[in-house]
Amino acid sequence: MKLWNKYSGLIVPVIVVLALAIWPIITGKPANRETAFTILKAIALATSLNILLGYTGYVSFGHIVFYGFGGYVGLFLLTEKNWSLGAAILAGGVASGILAYLLGSAILRLRGAYFALATIGVNEAMRSFITNFELFGASTGITLNFSVYKAYGGAAQALQTSFYIGAGLALLALIISYLVRTSKFGLGLLAIRENEDAAEVMGVVAPRAKTWAYVLSAIVPGMIGVLFFFKNGNVEPHDAFPLNASIELLVMVMLGGQGTVLGPILGAFAYQGMRGYLVTSPIFKNIQLSVSGVLLLLIVLFIPAGVVGWLRHRIPSLRKVLA
Amino acid sequence: MKRSLVRIFTVLMLLGLVITACAPQAATEEAMEQPAATEAAQPAATDEAMPAPVEKTVVIGFTSSLTGSQEVSSKRQVNGLNLWMQQVNDAGGIQLSDGTVVKFEAVTYDDESNKERVQELYTRIITEDNADFLISPYSSGLTAAATIVAEQNGKIMLTAGAAEDDAYKTGNTSLFQLYTPGSLYLISTVDMLKTLDPSAKVAIVHENDKFSTAVIDGLKPYLDQQGFEVVLEEGYASDTTDFGPVINKLVESGATVLLGGGHYPDGSTFARQLYERKVGLNFISLLVAPADSKFPELGDAALGIATSSQWELAATHTEAEAAALGKEWYGPTGTDFAAAYEAMTGDKPTYHVAGGYMTGLVLQKAIENADSVDPDAVRAALEAMDIFTFYGGVQFDTTPEAHGLQISHKMVVAQWQKNDAGELQRVVIWPADVATADPLYPIPAP
Repeated sequence: MKLWNKYSGLIVPVIVVLALAIWPIITGKPANRETAFTILKAIALATSLNILLGYTGYVSFGHIVFYGFGGYVGLFLLTEKNWSLGAAILAGGVASGILAYLLGSAILRLRGAYFALATIGVNEAMRSFITNFELFGASTGITLNFSVYKAYGGAAQALQTSFYIGAGLALLALIISYLVRTSKFGLGLLAIRENEDAAEVMGVVAPRAKTWAYVLSAIVPGMIGVLFFFKNGNVEPHDAFPLNASIELLVMVMLGGQGTVLGPILGAFAYQGMRGYLVTSPIFKNIQLSVSGVLLLLIVLFIPAGVVGWLRHRIPSLRKVLA
Repeated sequence: MKRSLVRIFTVLMLLGLVITACAPQAATEEAMEQPAATEAAQPAATDEAMPAPVEKTVVIGFTSSLTGSQEVSSKRQVNGLNLWMQQVNDAGGIQLSDGTVVKFEAVTYDDESNKERVQELYTRIITEDNADFLISPYSSGLTAAATIVAEQNGKIMLTAGAAEDDAYKTGNTSLFQLYTPGSLYLISTVDMLKTLDPSAKVAIVHENDKFSTAVIDGLKPYLDQQGFEVVLEEGYASDTTDFGPVINKLVESGATVLLGGGHYPDGSTFARQLYERKVGLNFISLLVAPADSKFPELGDAALGIATSSQWELAATHTEAEAAALGKEWYGPTGTDFAAAYEAMTGDKPTYHVAGGYMTGLVLQKAIENADSVDPDAVRAALEAMDIFTFYGGVQFDTTPEAHGLQISHKMVVAQWQKNDAGELQRVVIWPADVATADPLYPIPAP
């Protein structure tokens, strides 16, 4: 009971992710595994974005740049340097973290709309750079040879392994998010979100705190990028840096409730789960984009604070659980 | 007041959705449903003394791009496949020697031209919908993602709109390509230029994507080998809508010939802006877009634009050609195929339609040759296949280095020209032995 009281804000999100990871194992259906992977990937990305957007209040329209850059670095090391998948995933995360540190030092001096615009510019600039960067295959990207999968028991086993690693990365993202949320560092970020100038007066070193928040929000996307493109068999610039994916991540965070640990998880679950259902539904598959657009509009109209925000407002006793 | 407005707005939107959901399905869906209806209405065996034939329904799975950047070409590919399926089912299916009658049905989902969902959907198609054989999505990028799932499940995948060579050089054993590989797309065009204007100054301006870059990678060494001077090489992003800066560079380069393009949206926009800027090139060849029947909607901007085409009705391949090459002829004539397609959709077939149709026809031939629907037997039949159809030659590379790569099919060069009535029509201008018109060279100044 004591443990529950102390860590309920972490236990509930962990249960949600674990349930999602176990679902395909119980049902034994590979199609469910693929659906769950898409949702787990979204959870990891949205949770990471939430560290910057939800806790610090900085809107990043180009967060997908870390996913793409990490993916490219990892796939390059896998194919050209024969690194193992595990080492390539770690390298992808480190590369994205370093990129975030360098970028953050420069663009986090900007605030509000100026920062948001700069993040779009960063994503587009990176895409243009990679498109012309011969080492990473330029516009044709990098294609994995099937022989790479042999080291992981063949293509079928490699996809299964990718799923478990994806679940692990989603868990890692939410643990990082929870630790930030409940730490003194996280308190500083929340203070920046509410009033950056006041936070600095109170002793928060805003530029440093924001940069580290940016770095922490970039590492898991870089790792997920490597995993996704390994599973996909190839990486190309327009798949690695899709601007619409950044916007979808923002929607997921807003949908679930920004600034909370559980919110982005629920947002990612609802958004990707809904899209996955609609695209294969015999009734809706031909109008799935219209349906998902209308549903999102309804949610934004009626619960603008997101699902978690709405629940916290309506049921005060849940505030501790819905951290 | 504000709340009331929100409520009214919400109710209207929900009503709209209900109406849309209840509306009849698109023409392509109807076409897809038809075979099932035909199958249900199929009369029983007429000879009572004979045992009733066992009917087996083979499920063909694929994703198509009902939305997104690949929408136009993808829908045409699916239309072609639907036509084949309708024809083969209406004809009573494929009769195997053990008395089994094989019929076909399709299971398909919208991939939104988005690679993220392709693997998820193909896994579903294989494991939930129990597809027996797969057809590729449209485009090399989407197909590359789908091949992983096909390979892991040991499913045969016939590809049409997936020309880029790399996907066939990954060690796969399940892919079979119907298109001429991307690296050979513009070879015929260069051969033609060599006879028309060996001193032409060539500009290469292409979409920066997997397919178009593969085409250009195959083109550049061949241009060099043929002694052409390349004065400009420029890539543009897939979502480019303003070609002004590229056209400026093109004008400054002094180029007389433009080779490049990418897919339909960018290619048609590029052609229109070249016309509006009165660039005055002698020859323009763009990938994919000019091969579509929507292209003449550009009006005079379409005049003189050429394209490399996998198939053209005007230069369709014939049984006599097959006999001269010593190859087995199979399937309908090009005229019959075009007439059937026009009757089904009211539209003239493009090479994307022919490609979709051919995926079905080649699968049909493989099942007939294998006398079985067993995947291993069908795979062996595909590997041994060397046939000639209205679409041209079909033979696959069987080496481990490039398994499934198309090695027999050849492309033609088509160009939009005006007929005597002043209407735009696509004519074949190369190779000379199948050409239906002389090349329009130089293109008349706008």
